[in-house]
Amino acid sequence: MAAPTKGNITQNSATPGANFRSINHTQNTGNNRFLIVFLTMSNGKSYTSATYGGDAMTFEYTIERGGLSSRMAVFTLVDPKTGSNALRVNFNNSVFTPLSFYAQSFTDCGGFGAEVKTGGGASPRTGNITVEQDSLIMVTSTSNAVNQTVQIPTGNNVTRTNHNINKRVAVGAISDAGHAAGAISVRATTNNVNLTLDRVEIKGLASSGGESDFFLIM
Amino acid sequence: MITVIEKIEEEGGQLKFTPVGFTQDQELINEINEAYDSGLGKFFGENRTKLEIGEITINAFFDVTPSVNEARTQQENTDGLRELKNINEL
Repeated sequence: MAAPTKGNITQNSATPGANFRSINHTQNTGNNRFLIVFLTMSNGKSYTSATYGGDAMTFEYTIERGGLSSRMAVFTLVDPKTGSNALRVNFNNSVFTPLSFYAQSFTDCGGFGAEVKTGGGASPRTGNITVEQDSLIMVTSTSNAVNQTVQIPTGNNVTRTNHNINKRVAVGAISDAGHAAGAISVRATTNNVNLTLDRVEIKGLASSGGESDFFLIM
Repeated sequence: MITVIEKIEEEGGQLKFTPVGFTQDQELINEINEAYDSGLGKFFGENRTKLEIGEITINAFFDVTPSVNEARTQQENTDGLRELKNINEL
């Protein structure tokens, strides 16, 4: 009955110059492992699949942001192999524009939960996501200008990584700790430039029914 | 976080990235990425449309410059890589 344990991060923003990009990422050891990767690139090409250590990842969503000429995607994997493995993302053709790549591992995690995606609008961009007990929230925000803040929940600035892929991507923003169940407001800001606000739920074990629940039932 | 230095070469008409070391020296990171930006980065910037429609290939760059380096991957583990402190070690 706890929030997921945050694990290793691997992040990169560079031009793939190929119909795939493969970057080594080290998955932490532990129970109830989980891996998520956030991707943003030009909307001229598409994501087709992803693998980690050769295992197919789940394609959670992709969304085109035409106003920003961008395409975003999220892939996840439950119980990924531990240690250093190649995280490979495949495209429908060679990509000659920069790719924002942000992978994070977790342990003691209940997996992927809710997702809410909000297109471009004025700053501050604020929205809710309804989460279960002990979940974490991760936010990605894209704009034509550098992100100023990401707040999870609204009013609490959290660290994030800023990638410049011709558009500006704020990625990797994550809750400081697990949330109580319910609607949580999150916010991203820029200096008077429109921005998107995508948020996803990373579930704790309490919300998914972990092994401990099994033994309680027994 | 450490920064991984990757060697970039052409293989089968596509970029091939090979991690060759890591650094925590921001000056070395800047030096590597400035060289990339003025080389392969500039080539991409000037030829993106031609590359996408197949009018040219990345061989146009790599026939002249066999390899370049880039230092834009950050991670928390050294992953068995050696630490590089000088661009001459590449």
